[in-house]
Amino acid sequence: MKKRQGQKKDGGVPLLLSIIIFFGILGVVVFSVAQKISVQMEASAIQNLSESLDLIESTIEAVINKDAEFQRLMAQEIALAPDPMRYIQTYQNSSTMVRISLIRAGETTGMSNTGEVFSEEGLDFSAGGTVGGLAVSESYVNFMGTWAYTLKCPVERDGKTIASLYVEYIYDSLDRSLPDGFYNKRAMLYIMDAQSERLVLKPKGMGERSAGHLNLKDFFRANDIQDENLLEEVLESVQSGKNIMFDHDIRDKDSLIYMWSVNEGTLYLIGYVPIEAIQQEGDTVNQNILIVVAVMLITFFLCCAIYFLNQRQQNRLREEREREREQYNRQLAEALQAAQVASNSKTMFLSNMSHDIRTPMNAVIGFTTLLARDADNPEKVREYTKKIMASGQHLLSLINDILDVSKIESGKVVLTVEEFTLNDLVSSVDAIIRPMAAARHQRFHVEVTNVAHEYLMGDETRINQILINLLSNAVKYTQEGGNIWFRIIGGKQRSPQFERIRIEVQDDGYGMTPEYLKVVFDAFTRAENSTTNKVQGTGLGMAITKNIVELMGGTIDVSSEVGRGTLFCVELELRIPEGHAYKKFWQDSGISRILAVDGEQEVCENIRRLMNDSGVVTDTVLTAAEAVRALHEKQASAECYQLLLVDWNIVGTEGIRQIKELHALLPDTVPLLFLADYEAEGTDEALQLPNTGLLIKPFFVSAFQEKILELRAVQTGADTAGAGDAGSLEGLHFLAAEDNEINAEILKEILSIEGADCEIVGNGQLAVERFEQAAQGAFDAILMDVQMPVMNGYDATRAIRSLARADAGTIPIIAMTANAFAEDEKEALGAGMNVHLAKPIDVELLKKVIAKYVYERK
Amino acid sequence: MKWQIKKMTALCLAGMTALTLSACGGDSPDSRLKTFEKEEERTVTLFSPMEKTKPGADNVARSASEKTVAMAEEQLGVSVDYITYTAEDYQDKTYDDVALERARNDMDDLYLLNPDTIQILAAEGKLMDLSDLDSAKNLRDVVRAANVVDGKLVAIPQEVVAYGLFVNKDLFDQYGLELPETPEDFLECCRVFKENGIETPVGANRWWLETFVFAQAYADLYNGGNTEAEIAALNSGEKKYSDYMRPGFEFLQELIDQGYIDAGKAYVSEAIDGEGADFLAQKTPIVMAYWGAANTETAYGKADFNMLVIGFPSSRGQMPVMPMTGIAVGANAEHAQDALRTLDIMVSDDALQVYAGTNRVISPSKNVEVECVPALKPLSDRINENVFVLGSNASMKVEQWGNTCLIVRELLNGATVDECMAEFDKLQAESLK
Repeated sequence: MKKRQGQKKDGGVPLLLSIIIFFGILGVVVFSVAQKISVQMEASAIQNLSESLDLIESTIEAVINKDAEFQRLMAQEIALAPDPMRYIQTYQNSSTMVRISLIRAGETTGMSNTGEVFSEEGLDFSAGGTVGGLAVSESYVNFMGTWAYTLKCPVERDGKTIASLYVEYIYDSLDRSLPDGFYNKRAMLYIMDAQSERLVLKPKGMGERSAGHLNLKDFFRANDIQDENLLEEVLESVQSGKNIMFDHDIRDKDSLIYMWSVNEGTLYLIGYVPIEAIQQEGDTVNQNILIVVAVMLITFFLCCAIYFLNQRQQNRLREEREREREQYNRQLAEALQAAQVASNSKTMFLSNMSHDIRTPMNAVIGFTTLLARDADNPEKVREYTKKIMASGQHLLSLINDILDVSKIESGKVVLTVEEFTLNDLVSSVDAIIRPMAAARHQRFHVEVTNVAHEYLMGDETRINQILINLLSNAVKYTQEGGNIWFRIIGGKQRSPQFERIRIEVQDDGYGMTPEYLKVVFDAFTRAENSTTNKVQGTGLGMAITKNIVELMGGTIDVSSEVGRGTLFCVELELRIPEGHAYKKFWQDSGISRILAVDGEQEVCENIRRLMNDSGVVTDTVLTAAEAVRALHEKQASAECYQLLLVDWNIVGTEGIRQIKELHALLPDTVPLLFLADYEAEGTDEALQLPNTGLLIKPFFVSAFQEKILELRAVQTGADTAGAGDAGSLEGLHFLAAEDNEINAEILKEILSIEGADCEIVGNGQLAVERFEQAAQGAFDAILMDVQMPVMNGYDATRAIRSLARADAGTIPIIAMTANAFAEDEKEALGAGMNVHLAKPIDVELLKKVIAKYVYERK
Repeated sequence: MKWQIKKMTALCLAGMTALTLSACGGDSPDSRLKTFEKEEERTVTLFSPMEKTKPGADNVARSASEKTVAMAEEQLGVSVDYITYTAEDYQDKTYDDVALERARNDMDDLYLLNPDTIQILAAEGKLMDLSDLDSAKNLRDVVRAANVVDGKLVAIPQEVVAYGLFVNKDLFDQYGLELPETPEDFLECCRVFKENGIETPVGANRWWLETFVFAQAYADLYNGGNTEAEIAALNSGEKKYSDYMRPGFEFLQELIDQGYIDAGKAYVSEAIDGEGADFLAQKTPIVMAYWGAANTETAYGKADFNMLVIGFPSSRGQMPVMPMTGIAVGANAEHAQDALRTLDIMVSDDALQVYAGTNRVISPSKNVEVECVPALKPLSDRINENVFVLGSNASMKVEQWGNTCLIVRELLNGATVDECMAEFDKLQAESLK
């Protein structure tokens, strides 16, 4: 590429040189043509000027010769007159002949036609010049104040000269015969008397200041003609009556000076004309040539410019295309790299999966083998089955994660938005994580602050999934004895319909490297190092978490430092459900005012905030002593408290005695609840006090309510654990549709262990038929697989529900399927099933469900 | 971008096409016959010592007078042709001689005349009465009075020409001299200069020495409050011009005798040409010249020293001398009407404003005021105080400016004061005939 550019540059120089040479040649040609034209035009103009001067010369000569001829005729007439002197006086002056005089031969004075005495005095004929053969005087300023000359003509009678006739002519009369300026009045024309070198006629209304109109010397001076050699030549030429021209700068203009002999050199036409006036046509031609050349040049340069612009544009387009291509290549390379990375990740994932699946599978198979061998040893059997169960559970979680990822990535996940309470959320998470943390001797801290509404709308299961993922990771990636913090922090509400919550999961565990932080949310990645490689996981948890958070319109951020721990922040905005039965509960309970005692102001605030919507007046105090005071005050008034809530830490700091004192102040009907951590110790003594209970932190209204109900129930002696017996399946009879024989057998065995009987059919169609044929009440419930040959579970359920039997609509149909997703559950319920249980079957769960539906129905 | 290039290209091509077409184009030869109209040009001839500058020259390059001519040409559509005459040497006919002859023979339409020729030609009836011109109404009284002959206004000047002494103040200061007020002061200054090696303290030419004479002769006549009566006495012969003139002539004689003036040189010297170079070179501390010379670069407008223009020494102190040149119209002018109209414009207030503004001279119109150059301040102050003598006065029967000039020349040529006075007596006697 570089080489090509270099070649391109080299190519420009010859092109430039060619252009220069072309224009050099063009310039030389144009210049020589212009010069040739100029020389030819100049020669032509000089020729033209000399012809004009010849014409003027001829005119002047013709005029003065005619005058001389006329004077001869006058002389002849006078010769014939008897008295010439008297005759002369009969002549009138004319504009040409301004004085006519006669002097008789032999006399010095004579008479003019005006009657004045005339003599030759003042007239100089010494130069010997003639006009038409008559003697001509030197020019002079006459009585009229204008330049004049006199011709002297002999008057002869009978061959004898009897007198001389003098006629005075003025040069002004010649002026009328001369052209009114030539070369567009730019040529100057004087008439000079050659003898006196005086300028006797000069242009009227023209000229320039100090133009030198006095005489030849003055003319030369004014026009700065000072070259002595030239002047000498000029004077010689004038004396010999030659016509001459020479060029000279006059007032900074190249001019042609001419001196043209008239009447054999007695008079001279002198003057000058600027060369530019002579060469006007030549200049015009040259100008036109220049215009043509200029047009050609402009055209040429325009073409060059267009060409170069076009080239530039082409280059730019080419460069753009190359850039685009490079970009595509880069993108392709990146995509390839990404694909390779993905492929590597998936390969690695598969490798991990293979390892991770094989590991529990190995355990299952291995322990099954051991189980077969040690079947007679109940201890070993229990141990092996426990381990097989654990391995199976792990396998199940692996499979669930993989399925979740594939569903999320294919966009099939649908959120199930329902009302839930933060209390349930926190409780369930706490129930799972706390044992995990405890197993690793980690401290698990749960904090709820600033939350205004604990009843919210959202997909509890998914939020739960998020929290479990984050917290289980925290547990996994924190060394034993570490700390895990789970915080739910209420944010500032942007809208009264939504509660903003910020979930923080923090640990002081291993932390993550900056490199790993960048890919922590990518699928199939798992932090691995010497510290964590013993941690089991699918590497999908964080990808699932992030996708779910984003699906909920929230955000997830992470900050971490190796060796210092990790902090995950999830921001969610959840709708607050409309209309709730909080107030009704409190009204029904007859509780309108409670007193909360907590050493932390923040906790007090939290309690007040949460109780805000309940309609219950919540007073808070920081110490037991204040509580005592408050109780005294209220007892004095009618507004006594219906419940006392005391932080267990108060007991820790102020002693049980203080609590007892407080309890003594309470009427018997007013319960006292302790708000305590899981780890709270020594509560037993306090709880022995009548009408007291323990409320696990953090404080939630729903938990509070439940605890109140529980206390009331204790007070009223109600058996709240009555439903516990319903968990037994003893004596129940089920119809199960299951196409997989092994599963069918397992089911049958499990149920038989529980004392229940189960009839298995191979598909939905058979299930429908069997139910149809069975007597009313023959089966307590139908356990329905979904994916079956002939007729699937959904269709079978619909068919059963549509049967014309009394129990067709009421018999519980329980979906038991490997289709474990929410939408599967939705579809199952839509088909008419009562409940959906995912395989593998959790016996305890199955028992609970059956207990609920079967016993309720009964 | 592409669109712009296309537009540019189209424009350039259109421009080039237009150029090419205009270059190739020409008058279409509808007819092979070419006709030529004869241009009728209205011309007015002006006999003047000046030449016209080149036609088409920038206005700033034109002389003040010519600017007024150009105004007339523009307004009237006439062409003013200048006829000039310059004497080759002192033996040639003078400008005044030729002006007289040309006016007598009706050679021209307008004439720029010196005061003496105005009076002569007016007396001969060769000049037209200009009283009816609009511009005549604006004239200052003194100007009008100086140009009226037999009740006719025969000439109108474009400037009031004031003559004064041009002095090198630096040299006066150098020798501790005050500027002279009286003839005696003047002689004393000359003596000091002479003694300090200045060979000829007063530079002179053959034209303007008469100003000394006028200053001394008529200082009282024009400033004594009895002007009209005294002129009447001169015109009637009761008083003699020679009596007025004698002190001035005797004063000049003394200047010549003392060698303060080089009479021989002055006799053949033209104005400024003869004495100007020495004055500018600071060899001569005193010359005499007209007002405009102080403004004109070709005269004394660019002196390298502190130049002042003062009045001539007289019994009444420094005295400006004011002859009246003027433009006249020939009585039988070929283009009389155009000539009158041309003159009317040339001496209108607008034209005189231009004239006075260009040359910074005193305007003959009472409506035009122009500030003078600093060098002229002393002279200007005296004129503003109405202290001056006229170098010409048409109401005097003996022409003053020309005759006195000629008689002074005789003095320069060796005539005695008595002989010169006899000339005046003779002229007066002729006027009384």
